[in-house]
Amino acid sequence: MNLDLSILDYFQYEFMQRALISALVVGLCAPAVGVFLVQKRLALIGDGLGHIALTGVAIGFLTGASPMWTTLAVTVAASIVMEILRSHSKTSGDVALAMMFYGGIAGGVYLTGIASDKGVANLQQYLFGSLLTAGWDEVWAIAIGGAVVAALMLVLRPWLAAICADEQYARVSGLPVAALNLLLLITTAVTVSVSMRAVGLLLVSALLVIPVVTVQQFTRSFKATMFTAMGAGFLIAGAGVLASAAKDVPPGSTIVLIGVAVFVVTAVLAALVRRVRRVRRAHLPPEGEPLEVELPAANA
Amino acid sequence: MPVLNVRGATVSYGGRAVVRGVDLAVEPGEAVALMGANGSGKSTLIKAVAGLVPLAGGSIALFGTPQKRFRAWKRIGYVPQRTGAASGVPSTAAEVVSQGRLAHRFLGMPPNRADRESVTRSLAEVGLADHAHCSVDTLSGGQQQRVLIARALATDPELLIMDEPTVGVDAETQAALATVVADRIDAGCAVLLVTHELGPLTDRLDRAVVLADGKVVHDGAPPRPVGEHADPHHDHAHPHANGDSADEAIWGGK
Repeated sequence: MNLDLSILDYFQYEFMQRALISALVVGLCAPAVGVFLVQKRLALIGDGLGHIALTGVAIGFLTGASPMWTTLAVTVAASIVMEILRSHSKTSGDVALAMMFYGGIAGGVYLTGIASDKGVANLQQYLFGSLLTAGWDEVWAIAIGGAVVAALMLVLRPWLAAICADEQYARVSGLPVAALNLLLLITTAVTVSVSMRAVGLLLVSALLVIPVVTVQQFTRSFKATMFTAMGAGFLIAGAGVLASAAKDVPPGSTIVLIGVAVFVVTAVLAALVRRVRRVRRAHLPPEGEPLEVELPAANA
Repeated sequence: MPVLNVRGATVSYGGRAVVRGVDLAVEPGEAVALMGANGSGKSTLIKAVAGLVPLAGGSIALFGTPQKRFRAWKRIGYVPQRTGAASGVPSTAAEVVSQGRLAHRFLGMPPNRADRESVTRSLAEVGLADHAHCSVDTLSGGQQQRVLIARALATDPELLIMDEPTVGVDAETQAALATVVADRIDAGCAVLLVTHELGPLTDRLDRAVVLADGKVVHDGAPPRPVGEHADPHHDHAHPHANGDSADEAIWGGK
């Protein structure tokens, strides 16, 4: 009881309230984008765009502009280039991504080196986030950005799901595939760059993916996966901030560790459930055709 | 005016012409099979018709409009070759089938009654009404193929293009699909069916175009099976390159 009260006590401090609100918003909204990325097999793109975002942060240091805006500009530009490379070039998408990601992180460190008064230490704040030093203006930016991102993803869900599941079919059925692909990548860029200052690059890319891959082990429909992943992200982020307050450790890493732990537990549970279901299967396969080959005698 | 008019189509992959000067016309309400051995270029030609691979030469017109300016894709139902069950996020059969209605909806708008009815009807047509809310991953190979066909039917197409819909599908499903497609043909829908084997689906055809080595070698009455293939009990099954897996083809699918 004592412990509970002392945790709640932390939230008398404004910086803890800001940390909690930021984490909850990112936890709720990131999986709404992530569900499409997982479907498209681009689960690592959040991480990749985060690498590129470091160049954006460094440009901010160098020019004295607000890092959030330079980051946004750089990641959106990078996502457009990536989409063009992916759809038009013969270079494998993999190779193109690898080049941009390595180039992005190297550019970030290099440019920060030039703006030496800020130092690489400052860059680390963006890598791992500093929920506790976020100001109210940053919380607002996260809340507004998150609301826009979540609303877009919810409204366009069937279309985005279609292009992510089977892009060729979507093209033949006449959907604006290129525009939707671009929209998805730009939305990812916005999610990463708006939330990385507060919750950290590591955390935001984890929250894009972990809630989705956790709940999809139990869900049957895309819609249910999306909504439960948003709920799971919200709970994981909230639990992470509370746990970190109790232990006085960085909230970003706590949230990610809780997410990974939840994933491992559900993966084990899902494997057990599948084993049980295999015995009582819901859809019996249709009667197989008779085997029209002569099987060698067992004792031959 | 033909619903599909291909003139002198040439498609090359990396400098090698896979389809060479093919002419192919499908009239409204006509059912045409595009046949040929594996590697004869039939699937490539279909992909060119669907706009998925570019033409190196020749022209394609859909409903009288050159393909480049054609926008009414919702008049075409497309059944791609099934690429296996593996998908990232689970989707129900109803969700997959409703993708066939997206081109009819305004971006961002919820489905209207016609959209929902079309999805329900298409699922019922292929006999999966009871499985509408099952995850596609849990369905058998034949059932998954039926989901893809229901998705194409949900667009209420005037031209139905099917790429090897019977690969790895059990005999019962093949017969069921033949009935579904025959109903659509009777209702005036044109059908272009890519297949490399004769079966229940090919009985209802008006015409067959046979490709060999990227060229048309026959355009007329559907070929009749010869030799042991003529035996109705002959189980035509062999491993082939564009099936799901050699294993599935050998054993006649799940």
